[in-house]
Amino acid sequence: MNGAYPTYAAKRLAQAAVVILLAYVFTFVVVSILPGDPITSVLRNPQNGFTEEEIAQIVAAQGLDRPVLVQLWSSLSGFLTGDLGLSMRSSRPVTTMIAEVLPSTLILATSALFLAVVLAVVIAYGTQVVPKRYGQGLLRAFPSLFLSVPNFVIGLVLIHLFGFQLGLFRVINPDSAWATFFAAITLAIPISAQIAEVLIASLDHEAGQDYIAVARGRGLPPFRLFTRHLLKPSSLPVVTVIALTIGELLGGSLITETVFGRTGIGSLVQRSVSTQDLPVLQAVVSLAAVVFVLSNLIADLVYPLLDPRVKLLGARTPRTSAPKPAGATAP
Amino acid sequence: MAPHDRLTAAFPHSLAGEHPAPLLQVEALDVSYGATRVVTDVGFSLGRGRSLALIGESGSGKSTIARTVLRLLPGSAHVQGRVSFDGEDILGLSERRFRPLRGRAIGFVPQDPGNALNPVRTIGSQAMEAAALTDARDPRIARERILETFAEVGLDNPRRVFDSYPHQLSGGMLQRVLIGLAVLPRPLLLVADEPTSALDVTIQKHILDLLSRLREDLDISLLLITHDLAIAAERADSIVVLKDGSVQEAGPTATVFAAPSSPYARKLHADVPALNPDRYAALRDLGLRRLADPGQTPKISVRKLTKTFEVDGKVLTAVNNVSFSVSPGTTHALVGESGSGKTTTIRLLLGLEQPDSGEISVAGETLTGRTRRSMQAAWRHLQLVYQNPFTSLDPTWTVERLVREPLDRFRIGTPKERAEWVRAALVDVGLGAHLVTRKPQALSGGQRQRVAIARSLVLRPDVIVLDEPTSALDVSVQADIVAVLLELQAKLGLTYVFVSHDLALVRQLAHTVSVMRHGRIVEHGTVCDIFETPRDPYTAALLHSIPSSTVAPARTRSPRPAPQAVVGTAVIGQEQIA
Repeated sequence: MNGAYPTYAAKRLAQAAVVILLAYVFTFVVVSILPGDPITSVLRNPQNGFTEEEIAQIVAAQGLDRPVLVQLWSSLSGFLTGDLGLSMRSSRPVTTMIAEVLPSTLILATSALFLAVVLAVVIAYGTQVVPKRYGQGLLRAFPSLFLSVPNFVIGLVLIHLFGFQLGLFRVINPDSAWATFFAAITLAIPISAQIAEVLIASLDHEAGQDYIAVARGRGLPPFRLFTRHLLKPSSLPVVTVIALTIGELLGGSLITETVFGRTGIGSLVQRSVSTQDLPVLQAVVSLAAVVFVLSNLIADLVYPLLDPRVKLLGARTPRTSAPKPAGATAP
Repeated sequence: MAPHDRLTAAFPHSLAGEHPAPLLQVEALDVSYGATRVVTDVGFSLGRGRSLALIGESGSGKSTIARTVLRLLPGSAHVQGRVSFDGEDILGLSERRFRPLRGRAIGFVPQDPGNALNPVRTIGSQAMEAAALTDARDPRIARERILETFAEVGLDNPRRVFDSYPHQLSGGMLQRVLIGLAVLPRPLLLVADEPTSALDVTIQKHILDLLSRLREDLDISLLLITHDLAIAAERADSIVVLKDGSVQEAGPTATVFAAPSSPYARKLHADVPALNPDRYAALRDLGLRRLADPGQTPKISVRKLTKTFEVDGKVLTAVNNVSFSVSPGTTHALVGESGSGKTTTIRLLLGLEQPDSGEISVAGETLTGRTRRSMQAAWRHLQLVYQNPFTSLDPTWTVERLVREPLDRFRIGTPKERAEWVRAALVDVGLGAHLVTRKPQALSGGQRQRVAIARSLVLRPDVIVLDEPTSALDVSVQADIVAVLLELQAKLGLTYVFVSHDLALVRQLAHTVSVMRHGRIVEHGTVCDIFETPRDPYTAALLHSIPSSTVAPARTRSPRPAPQAVVGTAVIGQEQIA
């Protein structure tokens, strides 16, 4: 590996930290400049039925009577130390509330991502080895089919088929292994479609390259050709797509959790939005930002490991193919 | 062990040579894609330890034949006929039975070494994979054999090469690696598909020498696919000339080369610059007379030009103290290999880059240190024809719009006049008026380059910079384009700056020449002087790399590379660094 990699990784890490902080501040500012301050819009809302006494308590607990900048500072320092404040509704620590629901969502999201990647690779492999007359076209149609069926429809069909008809899992116990599996499948299908689309296009491109013909000419059997030669170079654009898909995974988990009746980040968001529980919302938005930044960070860190040709920022690598206008003497 | 291996072991090479059965025999081969037939009734045979060249232009079916022998054609290809290798009909074999022949018995050297190795894996891992497919199962023995083979194919530091990624090596080194991998299992046949067309000229010669030497040392038969008749004549025992998928002429090299009987082979012979240095002498003479006129002030004058770039924190001097001048109505050639600084020099000349120091003047006007706006005025007199007509023309534009664009850009003339000038420019380059509504896709490579020339002519410039204008084209198309350029020069008195790595072509059309290396001009002078008596060893090496135009019929096997004195090692050294 390149000697410049640690420097590159450190730089990218620092950039990621800055982005997360900015995202937090931005969310805070957006929430605080929204029309109507939280005291009047939430607490004094007759529907919520707070008494004046309770309102005074909450205002004091949340520090809402202090100047905005002071609030930002305490909120930000809380964020950095892992204290996300108290819920306006239940007065419970937001950190605890998230910790309660996060594992369920994490399990769902990671298993969905795993299934999506496996599904995409299988479909993509099929498009490379299945001859045209044995249904290669059908395989190639899968991604668009997957994308065109809405998430909740897939979920409902799966529940009906495997839950009610085949009785594989009980709908009232949404955390069983089978229920989690089918929820993950529901979430995975549209995501696998995106990954497969990019992977197929990338495989098609790489398969036409000379080095594949040369490797075949060396006598490599098709499966080894795929795993040893095609997959790695073709997976480069896929890394980027997966990083971008993580956001969708979070959004998609909201619908899937609702359909399968799971508690998770999705249901927490739903409750917090309907009750305008701002500290919880701020925390969830920041969490989303962290996940997004982290997944892109990982993609950036993985990329140079997959492709030795990638130029690292600020790296001093000896390169043979000088850029077009250059050339000339290498000492 | 495959049966043929035992066969070779049983029959030493001397016996195999007497054996009349050819190693590779192609009979009545037809290849078609759907209704399009790309190869028609092709037949030839190649004996053990012999070499045969399939020669033709793009679309002649030569690469298709090579890939048929290797069974690397896409599934949509329909193949008929018989290809027997070592007595076995390989077209009839199942994929599973044929696979062991690939690599082990039939090696493949591809066209573009830069793209022939997996870019994300080290050379070593790919070499080990190739070795594992042969009988070398023990990784340590395999590694030893690979390093030995790398040394054998002239790689200086086999260990470093083993640990490198493809992008860290130069094209010449990569081609050596590929040849090394191809000969590693000691195949009986090596199929080389234009093995040198993506390489610099001096490297080309080394690679061809290497192939000749390996063929002799290891007694490998060579099926050489090339578009270059001069290379074929120099390297092959027999030649098969192809056009549009069918054989035009075939026979021993000496016969086909010295006394071609088919009209196509004769035309091919006439179009190769290396074989016909004086083809355009009549047109060129006009420029020579202008050059001899002492009263001329130079059209282009470049003084002490220097340009550096910073790449990865290192300063590279791309152009170092370069000076030359060009008389009006003549052609000045900038010659050098990739990385020599010739492209940067013309970018500076065209004002696309600003030099660090030095001065450029065209037609008496200084171009350096100008603002962009006044530079634009100068561009009217200074036009560029780009290297690759397949990428330099916007595919969505019609020919008319492409050629008219400079006029629109500079707001010259009324719409009616512009249409008139466009037509005139197209006539100048020999394109009919019926093409104006076509888009580049519907044109051949030669027609596209004519459009590119017309586009640069339409502003009536004095100077046209030609950046390898024929390197993407077939020889016969190249000959047409060169004729068009020289006729235009004779008619309009144009001054050309001609950038090329092809010395044989430069000899045909240029009047003066500057040889560049590592950003410097190592030698300059008239074409006659430089080609007759090169003073710089690098120039001599470049000239030496032109395939020789004479073929001794007795020399059926190429000799080992002649000792090239100091020059050869100097060039090898450069290749290693590059």
